[in-house]
Amino acid sequence: METRTEPIISVRNLVKTYNNGEIHALDDCSIDIAKGEVVAIIGPSGSGKSTMLRSLNLLEEPTSGSIFFNGVNLSDKSVDINLHRQKMGMVFQHFNLFPHMTVKKNITLAPVHLKLKTQAEADAMAEKLLKRIGLPDKADEYPAMLSGGQKQRIAIIRALAMEPDVMLFDEPTSALDPEMVGEVLDVMKELAHEGMTMVVVTHEMGFAREVGDRVVFMDSGKIVEQGTPSEIFDNPQNPRLKDFLAKVL
Amino acid sequence: MWWSNLFKDMSPASFFNFSFLPKYGQLFVQGVEYTLLLAVVSVALAVIPALVLALMRLSKNKFIKGIAGAYIAVFRSTPLLVQLSIIYFGLFGVIQIPRITILGFVDLSRFIPGVVALALNSSAYVAEIFRGGILAVDIGQTEAARSLGLNKFACMRFVVLPQAIKNVLPAIANEIITMVKESSICSMLGMAELMFGAKAAASATYITLAPYTLAALIYFCINYPASKGIEAIERRMRRGDKN
Repeated sequence: METRTEPIISVRNLVKTYNNGEIHALDDCSIDIAKGEVVAIIGPSGSGKSTMLRSLNLLEEPTSGSIFFNGVNLSDKSVDINLHRQKMGMVFQHFNLFPHMTVKKNITLAPVHLKLKTQAEADAMAEKLLKRIGLPDKADEYPAMLSGGQKQRIAIIRALAMEPDVMLFDEPTSALDPEMVGEVLDVMKELAHEGMTMVVVTHEMGFAREVGDRVVFMDSGKIVEQGTPSEIFDNPQNPRLKDFLAKVL
Repeated sequence: MWWSNLFKDMSPASFFNFSFLPKYGQLFVQGVEYTLLLAVVSVALAVIPALVLALMRLSKNKFIKGIAGAYIAVFRSTPLLVQLSIIYFGLFGVIQIPRITILGFVDLSRFIPGVVALALNSSAYVAEIFRGGILAVDIGQTEAARSLGLNKFACMRFVVLPQAIKNVLPAIANEIITMVKESSICSMLGMAELMFGAKAAASATYITLAPYTLAALIYFCINYPASKGIEAIERRMRRGDKN
């Protein structure tokens, strides 16, 4: 990560408050994410890590501060956020597959509707992606027929079908039964090795350490400490990080 | 008819003096058809305006939200008979509809004002059903759709509404049942629906009670099985819903 290219995402002085400023979810956060970098965001619940991630594609509207994506200031009201969201894949804790559509339709809806692909091209891509995660026979099933791990892997390729520049993961394994966590993490690891830029909010410390290029520790809406996995996990400086690691490791 | 003698000794105030039937039964048959037509057509016409009202109420724009809110408040807070009278004598005092009769007994100059009034009234209630149905769709669905780059409109059309409409279908079927009952008020303005048929039979024969007993029986025999059927469909939908 020392080979600093132009950052793909650049967050400057991000503030998010609720209840007219009573609650500070994000308190003056700044961070750069380089192309191809895998950034793991860790921290106790309520620390603002999900709010931070959701601000990156403006699912949360920042109270102040700016977010640059490929050099464009997303918080500028005149920017068409829908256009930029196409290039920022997002994976949610609760999968959020569309229950009234088949798996294939889930994957092809956005690329086809946004005229990025014809239905035939999108179908072919969906099949290729399904094969890649080992679920080629699920194309015509409805989400209700799938296990949690299968749903989340499909949610990941639904985002990939948009050919995004960056993938945002919001606690992607937190709602899974323990025996299904591995299969989802494996897909994410593969993605990381292929060079996808990833921002991952996670409680999986093993994943953060193994796959992360950089680990960011947040607490009370602030970025408290960041560094390589070994700096964060083997040599933590901040007492709050030490305290957090003592609880989760 | 053979059973006409059954009623020979009954008083005109008897619950079951159905001696008017041979002569006036046809009024009830047509009345049922008229009533069902009123209920189904008015709710069908209410669906699109109701959807628009619901989306308006969910808008962030205070002005748009206010207009829809005011419409719904007015139609839910005033009696249907008052609305019907104002629309019949006011709106359709200005817009004259020719006296064309369809199906042999439906006079359009009365039917259309009735349907318009019922549809305007019903759209206020169906709007609230839609609003509830839209709000009941998990916010994660919207977030997933928007994060894929779909705009608000596409997200509503492809992701939220299909799920909301499935959820509200039973409630809309119930609205038709409500309308079957509420439309009896149209008899006040001379629409030849079921209640009108009962009144006509009562005044022509001086049998004061039994025509209404019969009307009640007919309303019940339509609405009770229909509501039970809707309940059964609702139960089955819930079973298939676990996603």
